[in-house]
Amino acid sequence: MNTLLQGTALHRAYGPTPALRGVDIEVTEGEIVAITGPSGCGKSTLLHCLAGIMRVDSGSVRYRDQDIGLWSESARSKLRRTEFGVLFQFGQLVPELTAGENVALPLLLGGAKRREARKTAEEWLDRFGVAELADKLPGAMSGGQQQRCAVARAMVTEPRALFADEPTGALDVLTGEQVLGEIVRVARERGMAVVLVTHEAQIAAYADREISLRDGALDPTGLGLRTHA
Amino acid sequence: MSTSHVLLGLLAGGPRHGYELKRSHDERLPQAKPLAFGQVYATLGRLERDGLVEQSGQDRDGGPDRTSYVITEAGRARLGEWLTEVEAPAPYVTSALFAKVVVSLLASGERTATDYLVAQRTAHITRLRELTAVKTDSAAAVGDVVAADYAIAHLDADLRWLQTTLLRLADLNEEMNP
Amino acid sequence: MRPATLFRLAVAGNRTDHLRTALTAASSALALAVLLAAATVIAIKNGESGENAHYASSLLAEPGLRPGVIAALVLLAVPILALAGQSIRLGAPARDRRLAAIRLAGATPGQAVLIAGAETVAAGVIGSFMGLGVFLLLRMVLERRNAGGELLLPTDVLPSVLWIVILMAFVPVMAGLVGALLLRQVVISPLGVVRRTRKRGPWPWPGFLIVVGLVIFQLPAQIKGIDVGTNRWAVLLGGGVALTTIGVVLGTGWIAHTTGRLLLRFGPRPAMLLAGRRLMADPWSGSRTLAALLASVVIGAIALGFRISLVTQFEAWNRYNAQNHEEQLGAGAPEGFYTGAVDLIMVAVGIGVTVAAAGVLISLAEGIVARRRTYAALTAAGVPGRTLSESVLWQTMLPLAPALLLAVTSGIGLIRLTGTEVVAPTVQLTVPVPVGSLALLGGGAFLIMLIATGVGLVVLRSSTDLEELRAA
Repeated sequence: MNTLLQGTALHRAYGPTPALRGVDIEVTEGEIVAITGPSGCGKSTLLHCLAGIMRVDSGSVRYRDQDIGLWSESARSKLRRTEFGVLFQFGQLVPELTAGENVALPLLLGGAKRREARKTAEEWLDRFGVAELADKLPGAMSGGQQQRCAVARAMVTEPRALFADEPTGALDVLTGEQVLGEIVRVARERGMAVVLVTHEAQIAAYADREISLRDGALDPTGLGLRTHA
Repeated sequence: MSTSHVLLGLLAGGPRHGYELKRSHDERLPQAKPLAFGQVYATLGRLERDGLVEQSGQDRDGGPDRTSYVITEAGRARLGEWLTEVEAPAPYVTSALFAKVVVSLLASGERTATDYLVAQRTAHITRLRELTAVKTDSAAAVGDVVAADYAIAHLDADLRWLQTTLLRLADLNEEMNP
Repeated sequence: MRPATLFRLAVAGNRTDHLRTALTAASSALALAVLLAAATVIAIKNGESGENAHYASSLLAEPGLRPGVIAALVLLAVPILALAGQSIRLGAPARDRRLAAIRLAGATPGQAVLIAGAETVAAGVIGSFMGLGVFLLLRMVLERRNAGGELLLPTDVLPSVLWIVILMAFVPVMAGLVGALLLRQVVISPLGVVRRTRKRGPWPWPGFLIVVGLVIFQLPAQIKGIDVGTNRWAVLLGGGVALTTIGVVLGTGWIAHTTGRLLLRFGPRPAMLLAGRRLMADPWSGSRTLAALLASVVIGAIALGFRISLVTQFEAWNRYNAQNHEEQLGAGAPEGFYTGAVDLIMVAVGIGVTVAAAGVLISLAEGIVARRRTYAALTAAGVPGRTLSESVLWQTMLPLAPALLLAVTSGIGLIRLTGTEVVAPTVQLTVPVPVGSLALLGGGAFLIMLIATGVGLVVLRSSTDLEELRAA
């Protein structure tokens, strides 16, 4: 399979605090990769850098052999909107927009006609079993329903890669499994790569491969040992 | 888990012979260790001796001897008891893993114990991934998912223990080899 | 709940809360000082000859001019009171969280509202005492006489104690009422503060308030026998202005909702969808944040209308005088004296608009900060910062345009309905509509708001920082 994303010697610090200290990572097309590690190990930062949400201090992130670090913010916005899907733990839906409008938003931003965007959005809501919520506001939905809408929004543009940061963190075990199972099934069906950040082994097991981080660096044992010879 | 009770349960649905019992067991409990034929016949013999099952007939359609068994009243009573009885929460679940770590520290040293834990974790994670794949298969039956869930939860518990033990290994070593 | 507990909980809070209390108190104090000044002018007694000779300024000496001064002072108090009302919402998200925590600790819904109300009333009371102090202090400091021994300001009279008490109570009671009104739409649950979702948008009924205000304002001009020096006269004028202003401010709710609906139906851009939904979700946020600005503009329009009729009146007199009549007509002072007084009001209006725009900026920043997680998540999902900025612009500026138009029209309407013609015995002139200066007023307010929003967008930019996504 071809390489979709390649991060080389990624460094990123928040002020004086380093979050990534030279991470190398590669994601091939259609692959599901889990990034694991304890709190504060830099896994969310790595996801943000790979998704082009955040710039790296040094090192390069290449998407299909193009260094996206050199792109303008608006070019990267467009990339995230069209080629990537992004999913967080919670709070990503616009509270004033209905579920249907939320899901249609990326399409509308891409210039789609409102009617067509609406239709596609409804198809995706239906795929995740929440078609009946299209006209509801996020505030009137359960956490699981909101997250399903968020997944539909992340996938509505049929991206090449989905970036999910603890996507089931705010859900109960069963709902979380259902949502994750649906994500994995759609990803496999469409050959979509998934980068999944989690601190739970059970969630990481949905991936083909696991990458562990510790203190901003790769942790080959995955055991969080401070010293390994 | 008691094999004899599981066989009693399978016989509660009607008479079966040994081969059917084995197949039914492996199908219903996919994540359990498959039963050996010898074990099936030995268990049936013990159950018959205790009066919990009895032979109900024999067919001989060209193949080897096929003896069917049927559950007795006493068998049903025993099954009922087992089904309502609360299992003692098993205190030795990770005993093999735990024993290996302790022995390793005593006999070989911290390095061997660490290597063992790392290797064990990798094996556990691989198995966890296989079981999760069973679940995400769109053709998976609910029975398969429930069975996989059970195994996943136990493997996950082991994994947590592996992780914390690694962090405590140095202290444990010091305590055992002062 | 003991009063001590209530007090402790009401004043608990962070810097923003203290800033809110301070701003509410300060604007209340300012409003009270202005109102007390108005009451002082009312308290001036007429001398034997009908005028009070010991004041240097004819504005104070002549009974016919004093009502104008009173009206100007009362009008000035309106935007200041509106600013006090706006300060109440400053830092509200943080306070809402604190109220939720107090509810979680076992407070009843009533107690939570009481705590929130107590803070506002306390700020109002503090403001009242501060205002009284400032007023008394200024009274002593500003006691000056000119060469002829005449007082520059009426520092020799005081409003009656009853008036002082009534006004001192008026400010905190108003603050409390406005605070309670703002909390009416809010459910303080232990898990956070939720705004009640309304089933339907606001009705345009505040339009009637404007009509009633216009009518009341006309009464003194229509009814014979009301002496311009009486309180009844001041109350009718003041009441008319107040009702019109409240009508304009509340009407903004309907304007915002309608703008939102139109944006949603006809706006082709995603930013319009975001802005439209946001306007429909909280149509009252506009009238809350724009209250002081709109009040200032209403009063500015009234002042401009008054100014042009003054100018036209002088013009009429001048023409009459130019026709070589024996009798020369005019006011007790040159034209510049009167227009100067009105210009002073315009300066106050300008200050009012600027202060109000600063207040709008604060609440805009508040709103953005409260929604920073959503903005950050949208940015991460590839929504361009441009689109978010554009949606905030639409959301703030689009309803503002008709609201400003309504404010300007209502203000000028108040004055023009009292009469559009001035006469000197043989000269009759029509008072023109001061289109240019009204456009300058409305346009200026719009521009200042545009600047405030622009600054607010800088806050938005930092709110899309992905740090926000890390704090769960």
